Amino acid sequence: MKCLYCDSRIDKITLKSLFFKEDPLCRECRKALKTEHKTIRINEIEVSTFFDYDSLFRSVLLQYKECCDEALKDVFLYDLAFMIYLRYLGYEIVLIPSSELKKEKRGFDHLKLIFESTGLKMNDGLKMKKQLIQEGASAEERKRMTDNYVYEGKPLRKALIVDDVMTTGSSLYGAYQALKPYAGKIKVLSLARVHDFTNQEASVL
Amino acid sequence: MKCQRCGNEDPAYFYEGHKGIYCRKCVRFSRILLEEEMEEKDYEIAIGADEYRFDYHLTPRQREASRACLASLAYADVLLHCVCGAGKTEIAVESISHYLAKGCKVAYAIARKEVVIELSQRFAKIFPKAEVTAVYGGHHEKLTGDLIVCTCHQLYRYPKTFDLLIVDEVDAFPLKGDETLMNISLNACKGRVIFSTATIDDSLQSILKKRVYKTVELFVRPDQKPLPVPSVVYLKKIGALFYLNHLLSEMDRQCIIFVSGIRECILLYKIFSRFYSCTYVYSQLEERNEHIQDFRSNRYKYIFSTSVLERGVTIRNINVIILDTHNIFDESNLIQMTGRINRGLHNEGGKAYIIANRFDEEIDKTIDYLHMANSYL
Repeated sequence: MKCLYCDSRIDKITLKSLFFKEDPLCRECRKALKTEHKTIRINEIEVSTFFDYDSLFRSVLLQYKECCDEALKDVFLYDLAFMIYLRYLGYEIVLIPSSELKKEKRGFDHLKLIFESTGLKMNDGLKMKKQLIQEGASAEERKRMTDNYVYEGKPLRKALIVDDVMTTGSSLYGAYQALKPYAGKIKVLSLARVHDFTNQEASVL
Repeated sequence: MKCQRCGNEDPAYFYEGHKGIYCRKCVRFSRILLEEEMEEKDYEIAIGADEYRFDYHLTPRQREASRACLASLAYADVLLHCVCGAGKTEIAVESISHYLAKGCKVAYAIARKEVVIELSQRFAKIFPKAEVTAVYGGHHEKLTGDLIVCTCHQLYRYPKTFDLLIVDEVDAFPLKGDETLMNISLNACKGRVIFSTATIDDSLQSILKKRVYKTVELFVRPDQKPLPVPSVVYLKKIGALFYLNHLLSEMDRQCIIFVSGIRECILLYKIFSRFYSCTYVYSQLEERNEHIQDFRSNRYKYIFSTSVLERGVTIRNINVIILDTHNIFDESNLIQMTGRINRGLHNEGGKAYIIANRFDEEIDKTIDYLHMANSYL
């Protein structure tokens, strides 16, 4: 088997690989893609994040999202899927929608494929009012996202909002506001954080 | 199954996604499905774009090579085998002009971004009426023009487009040994290719085997200066260190010391900065341009460098020491490194030294090559 990112061969059999699914990354890549759990506060919501948005995570995510390399879908949550399943047992995952244009180009919903491995229920009731693309947008432009979401699904008891990268947190905050009337309990999760907001509140609004 | 872009046939690299099967070997250059048709980039060449002028005269040997290159393109690809500093760009100009006059699409691909910027400005002077477009990472809003100068990594944007493609520095990183990138580069061409290189190694030979090509050689620099032949010393560890110290203490001009790795570069800098005025540079260093600039402006006498200074650097009046402690440099590296000496129009002299760990074929080949090139003078 070959490492999905650096193409080097994985020949070593580890104790872990005997019992669990094999890691799609080689040991060096997995070591470099560090996971560190941090909670970031945006106004009244708490966002759990796992990765730093460093150069390696960025290039893996770009290859997955922009170059449409579907094979990388299990790379991100290989270590974390079971932990997320236990931690958010009973929650239903609400996906932050990506623009229709991108979805059509890719042919798949990138968040859905990533979070399928957790085994939690999926819900794609969240919709965008306007099809905006956030790529390369400034902090000012990103604020538009705060009131760009609308929820069209059935009411939920427990909801988990997920996103891939949190830059200013405006899209997560917007999704939270849109979902609030329809859900009893909401938790928010993002794979990566761009800035390190440790011990300080993110100033979104 | 065969990827139409990178030519990969290994089934382990194919993956079936929602839209169909695609090749993962070249997926970093955007996804291409197995059954997807690649679209040729279509644009028009302006009339009169072929006009060119030089601010200087070509030497008779350059003119001869230029004519031979154009004549050979009529029936085969061309391998421009020239020493560094012989004027490969100038030789290709006549062929570029000939193709532009016919309304054919021409591109000049080279490995590094800095060289692309410099070269596009040079071409804009040579072809005053043509629109020269530079395409490189982070600068690809405009993809069409009369003459395209780009990095090899950007050639995937032009599948089967060019009638004449010039691939420069085939023997250098990143093209060297990277079959995927080479195939993608060649896939951008539907007509003839000019490979231009200083050394021919095995990987290039394996590519050339599949093609019909003719070699055009030029082993004399325009100013008729001989290439410096390095003196070789075989020493190990502490002996090499002492010999390096001996050389540096007696040196009367600036010197580049090439070392084989980043750790070694920093270590040697730490040792020798106590005794001499010196600086260091390697590719990951953020302030590397400042360090090179300081060295250029004569603030430091010596610079420790990895192979980052190997190509495209012209500094006057220098010596070169190559500290090949792990015998990792090959022929093309060594030739380019010694080629840093005696560039430009002034004959300043300059010496090259190789301090190697043990006897190595590559060093032998380098010296043979330099003697062979000098015999044409």
